Amino acid sequence: MDNTSQKPQLTSLLSNATLDRLNRLRILPVRKLTNLNRGEHYAGKEGTSTEFADYRDYTPGDDMRFVDWNAFSRLHRPYLKLYHREEQRHVVMLVDASTSMRFEDKLDRAKQIAAAMGVMALQNNERVSVYVSRKLQKGMPQRMPPSSGRANLKKLFTFLEGIEGGGNEPLEHGIEQMLQYHSGKGVCVVLSDFLTFGDMKRAFNLLFSTGLELLGVQLLGPSELNPEITGDLRFVDSETQQTLDVSSAADLLAIYHEYRAAYEAEIAALCQKRAGRFVSVSAQDSVESVVFDWMRRKGWIA
Amino acid sequence: MNFGFYTLSAALLALFAIPLIIFYFLKLKRPRIELPSLALWRQVMNDTRVNSPFQKFKRNILLFLQLLLLLLLVLAAMQPFWHGASDRAERLPILIDNSASMGALDKEGGATRLQTAKERVARIIDGLLPEQELALISFSNTARRRTGFTNNKRVLREALADIEVEDVPSDIEDALRMAQAMGRAAAFEEVLLISDGNFPDRANFDLSFKLNYQRLTPAGANIGITALNARRSVSGMWDVFAQIEASAESDLSALVEVEQDGARVARDSARISKGKTQRMVFRVSGEKASSISVRLVPDTFDSLASDNTAFLDLPAARSLWVHASTALPAFRHSLAAIGGIFLHPEDGVGKRADRYDLLITDLVPEMEIEARTSLYIGLVPDDLKPLVEIFQAGSGIVDWRRAAPLLQHVELGDLIILDEPRKKADAEEKSFENLGYVVLAHGRRAPLLLEKRSGDRLQYFLLFHTDRSTLPYRVGFPILVSNLMQIAMTEAGISEAHGNRTGMLPPLKLTAERTYRVEQPRGGVVETTADATGAVSAVPAPFTGKYVVKDGNTQVKVGASVLSTSETTLAGAHEIRFSQGLTVGASETPAKTDRSLWKYLALAGCALLLVEWWFFNKRPRGA
Repeated sequence: MDNTSQKPQLTSLLSNATLDRLNRLRILPVRKLTNLNRGEHYAGKEGTSTEFADYRDYTPGDDMRFVDWNAFSRLHRPYLKLYHREEQRHVVMLVDASTSMRFEDKLDRAKQIAAAMGVMALQNNERVSVYVSRKLQKGMPQRMPPSSGRANLKKLFTFLEGIEGGGNEPLEHGIEQMLQYHSGKGVCVVLSDFLTFGDMKRAFNLLFSTGLELLGVQLLGPSELNPEITGDLRFVDSETQQTLDVSSAADLLAIYHEYRAAYEAEIAALCQKRAGRFVSVSAQDSVESVVFDWMRRKGWIA
Repeated sequence: MNFGFYTLSAALLALFAIPLIIFYFLKLKRPRIELPSLALWRQVMNDTRVNSPFQKFKRNILLFLQLLLLLLLVLAAMQPFWHGASDRAERLPILIDNSASMGALDKEGGATRLQTAKERVARIIDGLLPEQELALISFSNTARRRTGFTNNKRVLREALADIEVEDVPSDIEDALRMAQAMGRAAAFEEVLLISDGNFPDRANFDLSFKLNYQRLTPAGANIGITALNARRSVSGMWDVFAQIEASAESDLSALVEVEQDGARVARDSARISKGKTQRMVFRVSGEKASSISVRLVPDTFDSLASDNTAFLDLPAARSLWVHASTALPAFRHSLAAIGGIFLHPEDGVGKRADRYDLLITDLVPEMEIEARTSLYIGLVPDDLKPLVEIFQAGSGIVDWRRAAPLLQHVELGDLIILDEPRKKADAEEKSFENLGYVVLAHGRRAPLLLEKRSGDRLQYFLLFHTDRSTLPYRVGFPILVSNLMQIAMTEAGISEAHGNRTGMLPPLKLTAERTYRVEQPRGGVVETTADATGAVSAVPAPFTGKYVVKDGNTQVKVGASVLSTSETTLAGAHEIRFSQGLTVGASETPAKTDRSLWKYLALAGCALLLVEWWFFNKRPRGA
């Protein structure tokens, strides 16, 4: 009997079954970027965890509690046992909620993926914070402060469910504004369509220098992946209201597809050069497909 | 230049391009589509504008297509045409031969000559320009005006479709005269004649216009019956003579079948080539009146079917009914020597015929007796009395028509006559002809022997009495009587019979003043009324076959067939010689006609509309 079906629905973003599956997964960063706070991630240096790491020669002044007395009785030389240091990782998520994300369920899918990543992070005792890139305005952006622990799952879901689309903030500006308030190393998950007139290189550099490993998830709708247009048209930008007149649009589709593929490759290259990773998915794909299929196969989570 | 426009002023329609362009730019409203972001599309457009030289053109392709469509419509309205001939006739009568030979096929299952002619005329009609007019005249043995001068293509096409082959020989003169008559009402310079050339190459006609004689290519091989007649034999049977001719250089063979009243009575085979004549004789029963049909079944391809059947009506065998006045013993004596006659009134026949086959009399009261052939002796008919008067004086014959059937082998020289007919003062030679008389023998002062045909009656008038001449004592007298008997037998139709030719049915003797329906072999029906004497004449017979003449009670079947050597041999005149010495040669290449191009432009306009529709509704590539 399926027990999950009897539980009340925890959030409208993810089903209980999905949440159960997410409980057994964790984010796998490439770089070991952690904070000083004690956590569950090896920091790559000696620590005081219970996990044995190595031996080294005893030098005067070392804590006698870490001398391996069994080895000393056999070898008659004192060796010191070293243990891993486990620190806490920060998982920061930036959800692009500009007007362009309101098309074709892109924002809903972004919120679902953010919820999935947040669940994995909170279940693994990582600090989770969420920022929303939405309106081009000064001041603190809409965000969920860093939180850790399973107790904050409800807080995470409530925050994500409350995100509304609209606004014209470019993604690169949203990243810069996020970094003004963020501190700590870890992983930065950017959920956006990445359709911006600006240069993403500077924003990605800032993320890298801050100590955040970039996980870029591009969400595109069917009209962006396979537009069906023909004749003479006037395109209107949903954010800037700028117009563009196109004649014989059908003839341009092949060029459009070339440009879209090239743009994806460019963003992926920018991420890769900064030890980040990038994936482009359709907003029509289910969150389960994106998380359990795409991300697992690409080694983002395990 | 071979290209021109009929309505050059229609070029002004091109001015519609101005409002078209204005409205295009004023009314151009592109459908608005809101996209999440223009980031990619702006790059695409920038790149396309740089790399595509036709981008500006593509932006206004709708305007371009509309202008192109307008251009095509304007060109179509200008009615361009391609000159086919160096000079273009504004009015052109077309004479189309529809005689029997035009029904000949070029090959087995092929087209008839008339169909080929119709195709040529149809092309001319198709290329007819608004300023041009055509008139269609079909001709066989007579001409028939199908249309007056018109440029109404529908009328012309319908009239052309109505023309069908008539199984009669052709005569071009009637058609030329009709065209000439049309020229008095509407002037023209040229007449187009389309024919296979199967007509007399000499025309008694003064050509007053240019004749363009288009001769159709010759048809295939043909074999047919060109003559059919019968003569009564001594035994009372009929000898049927059929003449077979062919058009091919090589031998053609056929089976000849003879039927008498529907029953086959003889069968033979014929083998003949062009220029030769094969005559075949069949003996059939002559006891009663019967209908003979001779049918030719060719062994190989035969281009003309209408000349393969011929009909002949044979009268019943009977004696000749003769009435000779008792006051003419010389005639009666000569007649008595000839067998096979009933001589009235003293022959003991027992009854008097309603109508005699031959009447010989010198009595005025007996002139009322009805007879097919009559010889009046010493009697002047009423209509001649104002012209001629008989005197008691010596006379003689100056000259006579030796070839006339009555006078064949009759020597009239040195004949002594005691009666002298004299012309009255105001009478002329032409006055006799005007009254329908033919002078067979001339005296010193007036005609002595006259012939007149009225209806089915043949009358001879001897203006002197034979008893007052040496004629009964001449060797030629019994010959004269014998000739008269032969003529009477021929007129009575009991010694010879000839196959009826198409064109006109032979006169029929039916009930007076009654209307009859004549059912034609191809289903047509005409009505005709017998005259006061019961004669039904001038019934058209354009097709080969049996014609049924009937009213409520009576039904008479009469067969008609082509029986024409020129039609069967498919002879084609290469030139026509006219009476003023002019000769017109035939051309076998079709006349070049002007080709109107507006419909092609209109079609191109429609195609352009379809392309435009497809272009703006096609499924995008990669979608």
